[in-house]
Amino acid sequence: MAKRQTIRFGDYIQAMVVNTQQVPYEELMPEPLFDRYGNEHPQPVPKMKLGSGDVVKVLQPYLSTRFIDQARAVVPLAIYLALFQYIVLQTPVMDASIVAGGLFAVMVGLMMFMEGLKLGLMPFGEVIGNTLPRKLPLPGVLFIAFLLGIGVTFAEPAIGALQVAGSIVDPEKAPYLYTLLNDRGGATVLVVGLGVGLAAVLGTVRFLKGWSLKPLIFLTVTPTMILSVIAWNHPELTKIVGLAWDAGAVTTGPVTVPLVLALGVGVASAAGKGADSSLSGFGIVTLASIFPILGVLCLSFYTAYTVPTDTIIAHATEIKLAAAMAANQPQWYEATPWAEVILGVRAIVPLVIFLMIVLFVVLREKMKNAFITYYGIIMAVVGMCIFNVGLTYGLAKLGDQSGGLIAGAFTSIDAIAASPLYSVSVGVATAGLFAWVLGLGATLAEPALNALGMTVQNLTNGAFKKSMLMGAVAFGVATGLMLGVLKLIFDFHIMYILIPGYTLGLILTLLSTEEFVNVGWDSAGVTTGPVTVPLVLAMGLGFGNALGSTEGFGILATASICPIVAVLSLGLYVQFRVRQEERRTAREFALEGEIT
Amino acid sequence: MKRSFTTLTDATLITAVVQIGYGEVITNALLEIGIQGSTIHAAMGVGIRERLGALGVAVDAEREVVSVMVSSDEVDRIFERIFLAAKLDVPGMGFMYATPLLQAATFVPPSILSKYAGQ
Repeated sequence: MAKRQTIRFGDYIQAMVVNTQQVPYEELMPEPLFDRYGNEHPQPVPKMKLGSGDVVKVLQPYLSTRFIDQARAVVPLAIYLALFQYIVLQTPVMDASIVAGGLFAVMVGLMMFMEGLKLGLMPFGEVIGNTLPRKLPLPGVLFIAFLLGIGVTFAEPAIGALQVAGSIVDPEKAPYLYTLLNDRGGATVLVVGLGVGLAAVLGTVRFLKGWSLKPLIFLTVTPTMILSVIAWNHPELTKIVGLAWDAGAVTTGPVTVPLVLALGVGVASAAGKGADSSLSGFGIVTLASIFPILGVLCLSFYTAYTVPTDTIIAHATEIKLAAAMAANQPQWYEATPWAEVILGVRAIVPLVIFLMIVLFVVLREKMKNAFITYYGIIMAVVGMCIFNVGLTYGLAKLGDQSGGLIAGAFTSIDAIAASPLYSVSVGVATAGLFAWVLGLGATLAEPALNALGMTVQNLTNGAFKKSMLMGAVAFGVATGLMLGVLKLIFDFHIMYILIPGYTLGLILTLLSTEEFVNVGWDSAGVTTGPVTVPLVLAMGLGFGNALGSTEGFGILATASICPIVAVLSLGLYVQFRVRQEERRTAREFALEGEIT
Repeated sequence: MKRSFTTLTDATLITAVVQIGYGEVITNALLEIGIQGSTIHAAMGVGIRERLGALGVAVDAEREVVSVMVSSDEVDRIFERIFLAAKLDVPGMGFMYATPLLQAATFVPPSILSKYAGQ
């Protein structure tokens, strides 16, 4: 197209497609009010009157962008699972309408929860993070960070998935696993919370002192590994290891990470540190996923030494009998909508009360925009309740179903009459490939990964591209999921994956620079969002049950270590290439010097 | 080599203050018609939530300020394009304005410089 140097007036008129009209800006200004001395009189902001058409126009982009964000994570996964089930396993989705309704509830619930988190809980985190260090001495700040770590764990949407998963465990086969998830479920979540709290404290101190992450990783991973090995050799506790390592992946979700980070970064910037390095946000996620593992392992040791297995089994049968008796007439608080509502309220309200006590009693601060904040809190609670309903009826049901059916590809199960559908090798390969693609898709859809990718690209001045990081993490998670599924099929112990995986991770940590260590270890945490965790947990358990193995935990754990290894190795490769490039340019410069 | 300095005349600055996320919408709409060099700043807005009342929750207080320099002859066309791209006809979306610039300077390609060399 030729570029016009001059414009004809006719063209100019035609180009102005919109009707223009001029109005003086004065019309938009409020009428000034003066008292009789000529001073300006205060007046409130005039309320804008909107027609219903404008209300729709305002709300439509607000709702649609937020809903699409969630739909982008859920819909492709659901379609993938349903298609896989229909085409490869030749079984239609059972209770399709209930599952679809549940998934819709997950999307609506997550949308409301995330919005509530942003409007209701994050302002608390920011205000507390900014003012707390100025008003309290360091030990007090750390104590509140510790309590906050416990509170956010209970509020994490994915933690409910552990409880849902616990109800599938057979008490006869794995008594300690059963008790840790059911009658001691509260204690388990508390221990996980203690771990996150400790991580928050240590992470904050690390910000302040500018410690390197490397020694911290060694100091935390090594004892966790040793304890895991001890548990592995214990006849009963060996079934706990998978759960313990999964617990670490569950904690680092959309509530914990921003709130704990807001506090940590606030403390660091109040001390005049942290702002200089864009890395200051990293590390807490890593610690918050290792400490809970340690906590759950310790709790299981404690339980094993204090409670004999017979008591648990007796207790479990008692509960089962009682449940069978009460099955006809469930209590109102055990029936479907109410049970989830109670769970949702119990998750958020204590955290909100704690934040309010800190803000109003300890800090004596006022909340700006109180209306928006309360709206946000209500949204968070309602969203959590809806999400919990969706979790039970959508994600857990779908995951359990696909997990149970996928076993039909290579072994005979009741649900599919024609099973095994394929020969053993083809079936196992199908199951592995299924998990691999699932991991790849679920990870690439995770919005947190996109953000991490941008950060990394900026940190490395473009040497480590965003797409490279996303690819590495997704590849790692996919491989991890596949390994986890293979673990269930061949029924080998999770430690056979974890020991070489973490050993490799530690060796790579030694070789890598601080930046890549931070990014690499944190990348494991960002991938396990509120959609992936319940789906994968339920899938693993359903799969494990169909195969008759004792426990289906451990898939999340393998999906955590693989991205670490993948990102660290890619980081080393990028570093190597950058150095090579530098050497080449240096040589060229030297050559140029000789010529001139 | 002697360094020379050229100032540009007839330039106008268009500034749009929009809800977070729409800055990129505007810059993309501008890039589509070959206009580059826009800047996006992060900002916080005050007041619209009070004006809208309960509906204010739908409006993000975080804002983006997009500024782009254009030729004064083309202001109307681009002003309109930004207005439509950012959906500024919806309440609470933001506002924009154009300011004449006294002078501006940047890298000017030699081919254009030579055209004006005699004057």
